[in-house]
Amino acid sequence: MNRISQIAINDEGFLFDPLTGESFTVNQTGLEIIKGLKESKSEEEIIESLTENFEIDEETAKRDFTDFIEKLRSYKIL
Amino acid sequence: MELKVAISGINAVDNPGPGIGVAKSIKEDKELNAKIIGLAYDAMEPGIYMDWIIDKAYIMPYPSGGYEAYIERLYYIKQTYGLDFVMPVLDAELPIYIKYQQELERNGIKTFLPSLEQFKLRGKDKLEEIAKNIGIDSPKSEVVSSYEELTKAIEKIGLPIMVKGAFYKAYRAYTFQEATSYFNKIVAEWGYPVIVQQVVKGEEMNVVAAGDGEGNSLGMVGIKKMWITELGKIWTGVTIKNKKMLNAAENFIKKYKWKGAFELECIVDIENDKVYLIEINPRFPAWSYFSTGVGVNIASNIIRKAFGLDIDIKDYEAGKLYVRYTDDLITDMDKFQKIIIRGEN
Repeated sequence: MNRISQIAINDEGFLFDPLTGESFTVNQTGLEIIKGLKESKSEEEIIESLTENFEIDEETAKRDFTDFIEKLRSYKIL
Repeated sequence: MELKVAISGINAVDNPGPGIGVAKSIKEDKELNAKIIGLAYDAMEPGIYMDWIIDKAYIMPYPSGGYEAYIERLYYIKQTYGLDFVMPVLDAELPIYIKYQQELERNGIKTFLPSLEQFKLRGKDKLEEIAKNIGIDSPKSEVVSSYEELTKAIEKIGLPIMVKGAFYKAYRAYTFQEATSYFNKIVAEWGYPVIVQQVVKGEEMNVVAAGDGEGNSLGMVGIKKMWITELGKIWTGVTIKNKKMLNAAENFIKKYKWKGAFELECIVDIENDKVYLIEINPRFPAWSYFSTGVGVNIASNIIRKAFGLDIDIKDYEAGKLYVRYTDDLITDMDKFQKIIIRGEN
């Protein structure tokens, strides 16, 4: 089940899932990715926003993106 | 109007009764202008001394002591102080109130309780059937009263299992030895029968709600316990909106025309989209003020329905936090003396 669409997020990186009552904290990179996913942005678009906003190269952004997606999967958020 | 409402379970201790939360909820409905009468079973129950919530307190005889003494005590309260409505919230006293609800009503004391047939639905042997009828699942369960039955039940369900008392206590057992030891522990403390239940994966979530006896809801709130005490009592919790669980509560009210407050205890397996019904409590839980705090005053709606007043059913937000805390109260010794000697304050 894709829980990401219903998760509430704030600007400080606090996530709350109204279905399960679970809460998570993420850093600014994680927040950028979650926001992108919630807005149904593509992987390329999210990676592009990471390189722009965090002054990192594409390869690092890709690696961070993949790592974070795996993390979300492990928590069954994706 | 001024209503005199009696509420039991004012033992706000580490295993808190539901009474204080219910009393606070009724007090918050200013239109009801309610005077709260606390029904206590012991002079040490903190509610007796919490005079900003409990206006008058009486010591009650134990319900197990028989109907006459119990009901007579209620009539005495009505005659001496006034009593319009009783909200019993403790498991042990529900059968007597349910049985004599018509008689109390004839004598000018209203209640808002399920019928005896409805009350029997909360039995653990009915769980599977109810869960099915309201659109959710239930863990496999067996009611056992001997070692032999315990062994058979474990063989049937498989380890690990939950070993539970009929009303209180639940332990998770991973081995047959553990199961036997918990079985003995429960029997020693609470007697037979013992319930053996399949362990299901997921998070414990609960609903507090009430039905009007005609198939309509008088309000409901879903929560998840975030932090519990050693006795399994909620200390911190959060409101949630799990549609499947809330729909099941709606169905329960609709299908069984449930009258009065109740709590559904569920295990929710998000991954497999399953909600398991673990228990139905035919009364308010001790954390029921949580619902009032998020705008859904179920206790006041029950009183309003009983007296034909307008009902206000509100929705609530997910993500509201509940925090229980301890407090101190200092008072005069004569209050304790009065309650001991006179049985009322």
